[in-house]
Amino acid sequence: MTVGDVQRLLKLELCAGSSGLVSDVGGGYCGDLLSDVMANAREGQVWLTIQGHQNIVALAVLKKISAIVLVNGLRPDDETLSRADAEGIPLLCSTETAYALAGLLGKIGAGRESA
Amino acid sequence: MRELALHIMDIVENGLAAGASIIHLAISEESNVNRLRITIRDNGSGIPAENLARAADPFFTTRTTRRVGLGLSLFRESARRCEGDLTIASREGHGTEVQATFRCDHIDVPPLGDMAGTLSSLLMGNADVDFCYIHELDGRSFEFDTREVKKELEGLSLTTPAVLQHIIGMIRQGLAELYKQDC
Repeated sequence: MTVGDVQRLLKLELCAGSSGLVSDVGGGYCGDLLSDVMANAREGQVWLTIQGHQNIVALAVLKKISAIVLVNGLRPDDETLSRADAEGIPLLCSTETAYALAGLLGKIGAGRESA
Repeated sequence: MRELALHIMDIVENGLAAGASIIHLAISEESNVNRLRITIRDNGSGIPAENLARAADPFFTTRTTRRVGLGLSLFRESARRCEGDLTIASREGHGTEVQATFRCDHIDVPPLGDMAGTLSSLLMGNADVDFCYIHELDGRSFEFDTREVKKELEGLSLTTPAVLQHIIGMIRQGLAELYKQDC
């Protein structure tokens, strides 16, 4: 399953980083504390968060996270958008909560970790 | 909270609820000592000595004083998480000073957020209160003081939409210039 599939199935708005839509997705992580995400998120995951500043893109690059989903209708900063485009990290937005989106990720089969 | 500005808003509102007529807000960033310091001082009613130790205790929210809620404890937790701390100094009848410190380059330091928007909404709801905001960045500074602005307005209200818009622009530009030279 690719980020593009997740975007379509979860009806997420693509805000930036479209070149990364082809990346594979294996599981997900929810977290708003960057140090926690840095310690616990894994390569290929979709990251659900309320954080919108450009550090999230840096972290996604560092951890090879496949895509970032901003939940609760929050919007990324302008710098975050241009960073995401430059790094090819899809930045997706939703008005749903992290809980609801994580449930949906599980339902569509993206919740499974890739071996 | 997502942004420092939201923490600041919360603490300033404590001061306003305590009947302050002037709020001093100072933000200072010193990269040589890797320290971010946020100081919020009001001249409100102050916190009685017997309550001061418990002011940042989240379970000490009082109907009787209405001075503090979760704001101080969340701010303190945020500061401590970033190798800083939060201190409260207060004298009953004189006011309160809250100071939070952060290690500048800690990954969990929240972004500053929209200071212009935060200040303008505080101004809008509290036309009779003065706000003095000083933002220092490695020795250079930006300053906004409603007492100065009011002098220039010659009687025109600070909360006039056009004036507020101008103030928002002024603060945004001032901070943008401060940070631009930093990079």
